[in-house]
Parts: sequence; C-alpha cells; structure tokens
Amino acid sequence: MKKIFVILLVLIALPLALSSPGQAIPAFARKYGFNCMMCHTAYPKLNDWGQRYRDNGYQLPNQEGREKTLFDSHTPIAFRTSTGWNGYTVKPTDDASGQTTSGFGVKGLDLLAAGVLHKNVSVLLIYTPRIDEPFGDYTGSSESQPGALESVSIVFSNIVKDALNLRIGRFEPAYHLMSSKRSYYLLSPYDVYEYQTPGNNFLFGDNQIGFEASGHFRMGFKYGLGVVNGTGALPDNNKFKDVYLTLSQTIGAGDGQNAGQRIGAFVCYGKRPTSLSDSLSIPSPTGEVAGCDNKAYYRYGGAVSLNWMTFNLAALYMRGVDNDSYELIEETKDYEYGGGFVELDYAGLWNNRLVASALYNWVEPPSEDTGAAEIAAYSGLIRYYIGDWSAVNVALHAEYTHRILEATDNTATEDIYSMLVDFAF
Amino acid sequence: MNRLVAFLAAAALLAPIAALAGGDGAKPAAPPVTETSALWLGPEKLGVLPPPVIPPDNPQTARKILLGKQLYFDTRLSQDNTISCATCHSPTMGWSDEGPTSKGIKGQMGGRRSPPASNSAYNPLQFWDGRSPSLEDQAKGPIQNPIEMGNTHQVMIRTVNDIPGYVEEFKTVFGTTPITVDQVAQAIAAFERTIVTTDSPFDRFVKGDETALTKLERRGLEIFNGKGRCTCCHWGPNFSDGRFHNLGTHPDMEKPDNGRYDITKNPKDMGAFKTPTMRDVGLRPPYLHMGNEKTVEDVIVFYNKGGGLQDKNLDRMMIPLGLSKGEIDALVAFLEHGLTSLNPEVADVKPVPASEMPQ
Repeated sequence: MKKIFVILLVLIALPLALSSPGQAIPAFARKYGFNCMMCHTAYPKLNDWGQRYRDNGYQLPNQEGREKTLFDSHTPIAFRTSTGWNGYTVKPTDDASGQTTSGFGVKGLDLLAAGVLHKNVSVLLIYTPRIDEPFGDYTGSSESQPGALESVSIVFSNIVKDALNLRIGRFEPAYHLMSSKRSYYLLSPYDVYEYQTPGNNFLFGDNQIGFEASGHFRMGFKYGLGVVNGTGALPDNNKFKDVYLTLSQTIGAGDGQNAGQRIGAFVCYGKRPTSLSDSLSIPSPTGEVAGCDNKAYYRYGGAVSLNWMTFNLAALYMRGVDNDSYELIEETKDYEYGGGFVELDYAGLWNNRLVASALYNWVEPPSEDTGAAEIAAYSGLIRYYIGDWSAVNVALHAEYTHRILEATDNTATEDIYSMLVDFAF
Repeated sequence: MNRLVAFLAAAALLAPIAALAGGDGAKPAAPPVTETSALWLGPEKLGVLPPPVIPPDNPQTARKILLGKQLYFDTRLSQDNTISCATCHSPTMGWSDEGPTSKGIKGQMGGRRSPPASNSAYNPLQFWDGRSPSLEDQAKGPIQNPIEMGNTHQVMIRTVNDIPGYVEEFKTVFGTTPITVDQVAQAIAAFERTIVTTDSPFDRFVKGDETALTKLERRGLEIFNGKGRCTCCHWGPNFSDGRFHNLGTHPDMEKPDNGRYDITKNPKDMGAFKTPTMRDVGLRPPYLHMGNEKTVEDVIVFYNKGGGLQDKNLDRMMIPLGLSKGEIDALVAFLEHGLTSLNPEVADVKPVPASEMPQ
C-alpha cells in the first residue's frame, strides 16, 4: 500500500514540477502600450475587459479591423517564466518523518506569440521549450520541462457578430470555467483538473486539439461547444471524438471575472480505448490507432464566480464518470469521482499591485477501495507587482500548499512552498 | 455523432471564408473615409504629440495664422455680431466654454457641449458626431448653424468683403479677391492647427523629468493606463482614439441624442460620440458631450460604475472598474494637473482686441 502512496504522490507532484507558468501575453500590452492591468485583474488572471478581448479574438471589442495586424506591429513574441526557491516536504505515512527537498530552480518557461492576422482572424501560440539539462547530462532534475506546443490556435471571430466565433487548433477548452492557465497559483493547480483516472489518458486540465464554437451576448449569456480529440501528446487513440458544451450567465455588468456575478455549467463526453491498440491496427496518417473496446467517459459540473469590490469568490464542483472502468475496479462498474475548489482572491493597493488568495481543493475518489486517496489541499499565496505606468510585469510571489491524501488505511501529507519572481516581457 | 462531426467540420472549413468576407452583415453607407482616418490604426502608446499634419492644399504661413486668429475672435462672423468661434471655444476655458451645453446667438442653448478646439488638429473627424472630415470643413459649420452663429455663408462673406482690412489681408495671404468661404475656413483652420498643447507635466515626465509628476500623479497615470482602462479609448499622444463610443449618458431622455448614428445610420453607432482628448481636461468642466458631469471626479465615478448600464447599445468596453477612493483621487490628480499644458504660446493666448481687428 505504501508503494501505491508513493506512486500517487509522484503522480501528483509531477504535474506540479512540469506545470507551465500559464498565460499572460505582454506582446498584446506592447502592441497597444497598455499596462498589464488593462486586461488582467493582476496577471495572469483576466479581468472582464481582458475576457471580452479574448472572446473577441484578441481584438478590442467593436474595433475589429481598426487595429494593427501582426504585419504592422512589433514582433509579437513574449516570454514568461518564474524563478526562485521551492521546497517540498512529504510524509508518506502517518508515522513517517517528513522528507524535504528544496532548492533554487526555474519553474517553466513560456514563449508566446499572438496577434491579429486579418480582421477577425487571429492566432495564439504558446511553446514551452525544454529547460532541463542537455539529455547527455540529464540528472533527473525536478525542474525538468519537456518541450511542448502547449497551445496553437487560429480564431475566426464574429462569423456571426458576437454569437459565433470559431477556434481551431490546440487550446484551452471552454469547459474550464475557471482557467487554471491564468490562475495566480504557480505550484498548486486545481487538483480536480489534474485528477487522472485509471486507463483513461483524458485529463480535464489539459489543452485539447480540435475546434470550438463560442458566443457571447449582451444579456450576459455565453456558450462554448467543442469537438476535440486529446492533447496531441496523448491522443484519444480512437476514431471517436470528444464533445463538450459549456453555458454560463453573468448577472449584472461584467463577465464575472471582476465584475458581475457569473454562474455556469459544463459537460464533456468522450470515449477512450480500454485497450490501446491491437495487432491488426494500422496507424492513420494523423497518427491515430483504432483503439479496442472503447468505453464512454464524461465529466460535468458547475461553477460560480462572485464579485464584491475587489474580492472574487470562485467555486467549482465537478463529477467524473468512466463507464465500465477496469483494473482497479470491477469492469462492470463505473469509476466515479468528484471534487472541486473554492478560491477567494483579493486585489489591493493602487492598480491592484497586491494580490492575496486562499484556495481549498478537494477530490473524492470512488467509494470502492481502489487505492486512490481522498485529496484535500489548502493553499495560500501573496503576490506583489513591480513596474511602472507602462508595465507591471514582475511579481514577487510567495505560495504555500498543504495537501492531505487520505486513504482507507493511511494518510500522507505534502507541503509545497515557494518564493519566486514571476515575470513576463 | 458522425453527422454532428461532419456538420461542425463543414462549419470549420466555411468559417474562414465567411470571416474574410466580413460577417457584420449589410451596413448603411458611411461618409467617405478620409486618408487620415483610414490610416488611423490603433491603439497607440501614450506619448508626446508630434507636429500636426498640415494638408498640402492649406500650408501654414505666419500671415495666414494671424488672419485665422483674427477671424477666430471676430464676432462679426455671426448674424448679430455677438458670437465668435472663441465664444464657445475660449482659451480661458480650456478652449471650450462654461457649459453645460453651448450658448449661441440670442441666448439659444445648443444640445451639446463645445468640444475643445485645442489639439483638434489631431482629430481624424470633427464634431462630436464626426460629421466633418477636416478642420476646414468644420470651420464653416457653426457660422450657418441657426443656434450657434446664426448667419449664412453669403451674408458672412459679404460682411468680410466689406471690411477693407480683411480684403487686404486675404489678398496678401491667398493672392486673390474677393474673399471666399473656403479662404475663411482655411485661415481659421490654420490658426487652430497652432493650438497644440505640448508641454504638460506628463510630456516632461515621458521625456525623462522624473519630478514632473508627483507620486500621486504617477499612480494616476499608471491607473489611467491600467486598471482604470482609460487608454482603451483615450490612447495615443492626443489621448483620444478619434472614434465613437456609447457611454450610456442619457438613457432616460425622451428624445435622446442619436450621436454618430445620425451621420452613418449604422445601428451600432446609436448614441455614440467621439472620444475627446484628455489633454487640459482639468481646464474645461463640465464633462461629457452634454456636460452631465460637473467634475473630473464625477466622470471617473460614472465610469467606475460602468457608465449608463441601462443603455442597450452601451459600448462593450464599458465595464465597472472597481476603483477605490484612493485610486480615483490619483486619477483626478493626474488628469487635472498632469495633463494641463504649460506652454505659454497656447495657455496664454489672449483674444484679439477690437482695436487690432481689421477695419
């Protein structure tokens, strides 16, 4: 059982170590001469204006066709990374002593390129280059980051004014009603987004490849409808595509990011191969292999985002079901889990230069004894931004998470703490 | 499922074609796009004003500028000799007037406030509704507006042609007689292109003088360009996008002013008015196109609430800001002091006394 715990801890810690800093795009700020806080409550979290800008295909609302394209403006490339000190303490069992590792490191690097190609046609590209040592010298640093194309998409906006926009490529799907890519938390992503079920390589928090139709309306209603098939690195490996639908409604002025009160719901449905391939399968030109014994899985949930002054209270709850899951549970039974988070953010000082946040995450695994632990995580952070009137693009970041993994016969804990400088330019 | 996928795939393939073809639907004809506004891509970074663009058919000369200044302050251009350009665009009122809307001949009140004449050389379109493509064209308008100067072009031209001093000056400047309406407008426009405010504390600050703005004003500048989201419309060296936005300023009026819509007949322009420059804004209360807001702070409070949220055509960029009292104070400090011009050739312009007017 202890081995299972260690494996689980590694599985949880790995995404943290590999997690990309997320999205904030100084290339846009540079293009317009805007301060970061024009689009962000405090970067990387979008405010309502930034959300509308994103929804409008990286064009100022109602100003389509009257701003510089990628061909007219500065080089549309930006970088974001964070570096500093991290510590990690794990107690694999109740009675074990804590094992601590700590040190200085670089927590990922994003190369971002984005902008308008033509009126109502825009692109976004995020590349995370490999930042570990050259392969020959690789010593297994926890700060490794394999190179990946985190996001590359082209957006056709206002096919029907506001009501129909199309995003094609690899992108953050609309069912992320709370974006983990634009969260203040650098080390503690939303656990329920990262929860991996056995035999299913779909991860709720991953960007997906496919296309998404979306729309937003004056009355505050938004929708997102997508057809996708995995991340590219982890393709669905079958001919079935996954579909999802997200609906949200904002009450009051704003988009629910820092003004107005938003409520939303989402559902995504797909199939995953329970047997990755068989001896007769031939890869298609796009790399897919017909999977065998495909079974359905689905995720559904709801979220609210409430705003008062410069406080934002966000909460999300979701459930996941893998039909007729196998291995750890009987094949005839579904693998069912649930979880969510509650996050309270505060922005203060002038131009929101100070951010404080508290976050509670939880995941409830199936009630059957699968070996999976119940997760409860308590996080807090404080960020102070440095800059001047043209850019506030350096954040002093302190973050702490205490995570409890409670299984039937054991409880493990881990503590993650960091003091970083998070900057973008 | 396969049909759904096929349908969505077809939509994906057609989308680029539809987008490039323009998805806004049929639009009513807009007025001709001038070269200036066609090139007006933005937003641009806040900064120091460049010299204004001088139209090739109306070059600046010292004599023409002086003549324009005389005409600008000359009440004889109006029907009853009481109103000049400067009556409503007064240098002592930040090149606007005391408002709330402008008063024309016989005490008549106009429906809108006088937009500032200062830095109007940088506007791609003139008037609150942008109905005029140039300063030359704009200068002709108020003369024959029955509420403003109440004259006709024919009578005004007869008047100036009856003034020997003007005939002599126009002949010197333009080389022809008799005086025409176009020449009057060209001379006034030439003078207006000299009303450029280039030496505010902000200008000194961005040129490198760290002491030009106080700490509070610097915070105000940062908020102006950040959380306050002012620069999404008030951008560029003139602090104006020259475009048209509906702020929801009068949703309760029985007959609301249609603004830009009356010119373009495009529904998206309903209730939209041109973004004014923020330079010298502290010198010309009250604010907005009807003078609804008495102080700079009142305007910021209005924006902080998200504008007139009941307006169905409210600009999508209008969203509550969440500014604290301290942030509002910083913005007020920056706007009222940081953007007030100090250059004497503009700030100290005095009306041309009657004794110096052409007789």
